[in-house]
Amino acid sequence: MTFSRRSMMRGMVGGAAVCVGIPTLDMFLDVNGQTFADTGAKVPVRFGTYFWGLGLTDTPDGGSRWVPKTKGKGWEITPELESLKPVKDKVSVFSGFRVNGDGRPNAVHWSGHAAILSGVAPSRGGQMDAPSFDTQIADALGVGTRFRSIECSANGKTVSYSTRTGKSFATPEASPIALYTRLFGQGFQDPNSPNWSPDASIMLKQSVLSGVAEQRRALLARVGSTDRVKLDQYFTSLREMENQLDIQLQRPAKAEACLIPTRPDEKPRAHSVDVINANSKAMARLLAMGMACNQTKVFNFVHTPGQSETYIAGDSKIYHQYTHDEPTDPKLGYQPNSSKLAGLVMQAFGDFLVEMDSIKEGDGTLLDNMAVLAFSDTGYAKIHSLENIPMLIAGGAGGRHKGGYHIASAGEPVTRVSLTAQQLAGAPVGEFGAGAMKTSRPITEIMA
Amino acid sequence: MKRALMNTAPIAAVVMLLAPQAAHAAWTKTYVIEWIEHASYYGAKGGMIDPGTDCSKGTNPEPNWVQMLINAGYTKEEAEWIRNPANPERSAVSGNPKMAFRGKNRASVYKDPETYPDPGILEVDGDKAEGINLDGDATNGFINAITGEPGVDNKFYKALGCWKTFRGPKRMSSGAQTVNDPMREGSWTMVIVVRGEGNDPMNDDKVQVGVYQSGDPMIKTGDGKIVEDFTFTIQPHARNEGVFPARVKNGRITSTAPVDWMMRDPSPGAVRSGLEILKGQIDLTMQPDGSLKGYFGGYRPWAPVYFGWAGFGQVNEVLTWIDLPAAWYAMKRHADYAPTPGGEKTHISFALRVDAVPAFVRTPDAKQEIAEVRSYKAEAPATPPAAAPRPLAAATPAAR
Amino acid sequence: MCAAVFGVGTVGAVAVTLQSPAIAQARQATAAEPFAVAVRRLTESQYRNIVADLFGADITMNARFEPEMREEGLQAIGAAQLSVTTSGFEQYFALANSVSAQVIDAKRREKLVGCQPADPKKVDEACTRAVVTRYGKGLFRRPLTEAEIATRLSIAAKGTAGVGDYYEGLRLALASLLMDPEFLFRVESAEPDPARRGQYRLDAYTKASRLSFLLWNSAPDAELLSVAEKGDIHKDAVLKAQVARMVASPKVRDGASAFFTDMLQFDHFDNLTKDAATYPKYSQKVADSAREQTLRTVLDLTVDQNRDYRDVFTSNETFINRALAAVYKVSYPSKDPWTKYTFPASSERSGILTQVTFLSLFSHPAASSPTKRGVKIHEIFMCEPTPEPPADVDFSKVQALDKGTVRVRLLDHMQNEGCASCHRRSDPPGLALERFDGLGQLRTLENGAPIDVSADFEGVKFTGATGLGKYLRDDKRIPACLVRNVYAYGVGKAPDERDEDYLDDQTKAFAKSGYRFKALLAGIASSAGFFKVEQPKGLGPANPPKAVATARLSQGGPQ
Repeated sequence: MTFSRRSMMRGMVGGAAVCVGIPTLDMFLDVNGQTFADTGAKVPVRFGTYFWGLGLTDTPDGGSRWVPKTKGKGWEITPELESLKPVKDKVSVFSGFRVNGDGRPNAVHWSGHAAILSGVAPSRGGQMDAPSFDTQIADALGVGTRFRSIECSANGKTVSYSTRTGKSFATPEASPIALYTRLFGQGFQDPNSPNWSPDASIMLKQSVLSGVAEQRRALLARVGSTDRVKLDQYFTSLREMENQLDIQLQRPAKAEACLIPTRPDEKPRAHSVDVINANSKAMARLLAMGMACNQTKVFNFVHTPGQSETYIAGDSKIYHQYTHDEPTDPKLGYQPNSSKLAGLVMQAFGDFLVEMDSIKEGDGTLLDNMAVLAFSDTGYAKIHSLENIPMLIAGGAGGRHKGGYHIASAGEPVTRVSLTAQQLAGAPVGEFGAGAMKTSRPITEIMA
Repeated sequence: MKRALMNTAPIAAVVMLLAPQAAHAAWTKTYVIEWIEHASYYGAKGGMIDPGTDCSKGTNPEPNWVQMLINAGYTKEEAEWIRNPANPERSAVSGNPKMAFRGKNRASVYKDPETYPDPGILEVDGDKAEGINLDGDATNGFINAITGEPGVDNKFYKALGCWKTFRGPKRMSSGAQTVNDPMREGSWTMVIVVRGEGNDPMNDDKVQVGVYQSGDPMIKTGDGKIVEDFTFTIQPHARNEGVFPARVKNGRITSTAPVDWMMRDPSPGAVRSGLEILKGQIDLTMQPDGSLKGYFGGYRPWAPVYFGWAGFGQVNEVLTWIDLPAAWYAMKRHADYAPTPGGEKTHISFALRVDAVPAFVRTPDAKQEIAEVRSYKAEAPATPPAAAPRPLAAATPAAR
Repeated sequence: MCAAVFGVGTVGAVAVTLQSPAIAQARQATAAEPFAVAVRRLTESQYRNIVADLFGADITMNARFEPEMREEGLQAIGAAQLSVTTSGFEQYFALANSVSAQVIDAKRREKLVGCQPADPKKVDEACTRAVVTRYGKGLFRRPLTEAEIATRLSIAAKGTAGVGDYYEGLRLALASLLMDPEFLFRVESAEPDPARRGQYRLDAYTKASRLSFLLWNSAPDAELLSVAEKGDIHKDAVLKAQVARMVASPKVRDGASAFFTDMLQFDHFDNLTKDAATYPKYSQKVADSAREQTLRTVLDLTVDQNRDYRDVFTSNETFINRALAAVYKVSYPSKDPWTKYTFPASSERSGILTQVTFLSLFSHPAASSPTKRGVKIHEIFMCEPTPEPPADVDFSKVQALDKGTVRVRLLDHMQNEGCASCHRRSDPPGLALERFDGLGQLRTLENGAPIDVSADFEGVKFTGATGLGKYLRDDKRIPACLVRNVYAYGVGKAPDERDEDYLDDQTKAFAKSGYRFKALLAGIASSAGFFKVEQPKGLGPANPPKAVATARLSQGGPQ
């Protein structure tokens, strides 16, 4: 073998690929790339978003099936948050936050989470008017792992809300087996394996990309601004592929909690809530191990999409329809089936966190080293409300998040919670959002 | 050109057949068998092996294998070594072939069961069973567990109905699952054609019932059931076919005369080449949901049943909990039919429980929907070779 | 003004429609250089077709392509918005490595590489150059520049030197071509028009690609590329001859197939699920078969038989297989996997709206939805999108009903003014299809009550699926919508008011042809409007990119 990786890099990759740097990266990291400059906190803190569709149940008279009565520390379990009981002290609940559209129409089942992620109410359904903030966290945290971020969709549909352009959305792994293959299939390097040597075929793979990056400048000069955004995304992806290959040429750091999981079984595709929850749990377990094995530090998890079509097996009506057409039970004071489904959907999030919490890391657990922002597309789904959108932050964020708080707001923008999550993840972001949603005030009450 | 011709001809046929049928003073109903199993009546209130009115001591328990070998003349050490997983002779797949040599002078009990004394088996001790009154005699046999009618002839059930291969609630015995799983996955298919000459399918004195093989696989639904309304073409077979004269009364189709016939043997562990049934009868009821449920009954030769199981003797014994010669002696004890008057009772009464769902059945060339019940044996290719016997419960995780 | 632009008979001499005077001036100041009018990601089927055309249909391509995006009714328009995300890039990368490995493997090497290195362990630049030039042209849909060739020669040389295998080096060079943005994206370019000072025309290779992607859903063949190379494609007569040749080729079936797959929104099959308890007959096999049935039906009528396009709404001729026969509850009359089949009148089935595809795609997992079906009839066949339900609709008046028919439930909807304005439009055609359940099975009762399929739609009364089919067949919006879709599909852009006269003319020509789809393809492909140049915004040196413009059509609202 006459190949030397150094000569390859110098001779073939040349300047072009390397100069396509990530400008923000330098601000985030100190020289050796191991620590966040602003906080000094030790990597790995992991960050993730968790989305579920159709919000939680409010009642026509202003009551709620999920908002705790207690404010501040020590919130009490409510019917639809029952599943969070085992990890309650590691979760903060945010109620009363809203999306202010600055006069833009409510793109139903879209505006809510689009605003939470991009910081601005979208001008139309199906797009975001700014990148979703997880991509910026991924750019910062994602170095040093094989994947900058991992997207999962537990409902069988290819749904992800992670976007760099506002229009091209990430392609998620939509089944446990797909997630397993991505994380632990070809290209996986066991961080604890005693026998490690760089794979020569990776160097050959790198050379394929060397010519491509060189055309960037010439190509971009010929195109309009919209096309430039697209091509920029392409070149970003190219750079990430190069990064992935680079990582694979380095001996992986040891990871004590890393145990390679077994390959999951192929499951039938269905949208009933029992199937989705089972998938969600299996994927949570794989994702947890993926993080414990240093394959990624950032994830975006979609349990059910905005206009969720999940249903209770055998029932002819889907959740979405229940939220709209189910009358409020006069005795109970709420929509019983909608609320039941809300509880079932949240069961998956409870299970998700329990999976994260079951992996020991140092003195604590994986969950203690994570910040997970969980949220939905809507508040009271019957009326597509953009008020009181349920949001939760789970995980200790490496000690930055106090946990166990209920923050009740009277209509402040959801971006305050988004900004808080970004800061808990360690991103040196001082301001988030645009227009009426712009904020520079994180919720310090929950920050250690 | 050729293709165009082939495509247009059947279409015309379909259009004709879909025209109102009132003009014909005849009717046809067609089904595919989606489950077939030995008609065992389970007399316990719940569970799978609990004691019940059928088997008051419950299901036949697992033999003490080491003791069984000691009884056959092995020392304790030898017996334990035969059973020891570390023994290189013992295969993870096929067990230890030494298990066979339990007969007198180390004869193989799988080849010659009578070299070994009858070890005994729990037999059915209840008075109810499912099946058909084959001999028309109400004074012998079981009480029909469903209708209360007396005289059900099912000595096979009497002999082996407490063995877990056959015992359990409907569609739950390990033997039934072993057989039906591959059938439902498309390994083979049997169709039933019911044709009446009268105007009312629910009450008709002139009915013919055909049981045929089809080469078209059954298809499972999303939740594991067999899909209705699939189309099956009859696959003519040189032996396996039954044509029964019958009548319908209130939707219940019963034989008007017994018929000797053959079918693919649906018994667990059986030699698959064909089951010869003497004095066969049917008792099938059209259900309100369109399905057809009931029985095929008759007398079957019992020795091949034993040798079918014995083909993978040591595996079948261990998986299904039986000291196999016990089955030989039990069947021999209860055999109740001699083809030659006064001769040896080589046959035993039995019944198969059949569940069928509506399906389209077409002639072997697929050109027409079937509209008559007749024999297709003459159109069959040369007799296909017999398939080898297979382990009784190898495909049934529940039996392990 | 528009008529003046499109009325010109010559091809390629179409004025640039400038975005604003300011940009026009800026452009003129730096004019005379080519620019890209649009960048569109190749679709999955285009990728597959190009690879199969160049390297053979036996090349396996196991990959998960990134989802397409539907905009303004078509994925072809959405493709202009799409890029390659990180996970998509990984997929392309794996595919490039796998395809290139297959090209140089022992069994294909001789046929596909075409030359032999002097020493299989050493670099052979002449052979590499020949291979890269040949396949580069096919992949990029234009000849490679010398710099592009040189890059690949260098990759090949270093690869060969690294592992001591000529073919491995060659493979890396081919993989590099397959990863190139100029392969993965269709970069459409305009150049100064020599016949009209200060104006632009699409360059010859871009024209060739537009033709071949519309008519064949693949890259241009050698003949078309050579016509482009000589510049003859700019000549009207040559263009028309090429279009005639291409429409007469069997590959036009691929083009029509891709178009109808897009227009009929078959991508919804990717996410289709049905509740197993409610629809036990549903399976992936049924879904795949239904998709194929509809495609076969449409291609048979419009391409093979060259019949009136509008017959797709009324014809009872179709193709079925055994699985579909079970769903349609008919006996399958053949021993072949598929057979041509004519539904009898009693089946109530005529036209593609009565096939499992349409009926199941636009339903709930466990119930039919007249609203979804109605919305999609408007959207797909009439080019009339339905707005999202307003966010402030008061749903409190809507009551659940577990008995009776959906018609009764929807009438209840109608009492709610917030809902009624749209539901009055969407529901009647959907209600005419209500004798088909959420999988498309015929039924006469719902919850024990007889289903009424009478419809009063836009002042016309008709009954059932057959009545709806006849109504649509004679509706003027149907052919106009097809014309709009073929054009928008071909140019990758939603038409606007400036295109109205052009589309009117094409619609008239379509009618005159007796609504023959192939005539419509040929008419549009040889028209000047098909090659119109529009300058993109923000041309020039990179500004900081911002997310802009329109987005995917979101899924329907509550019923």
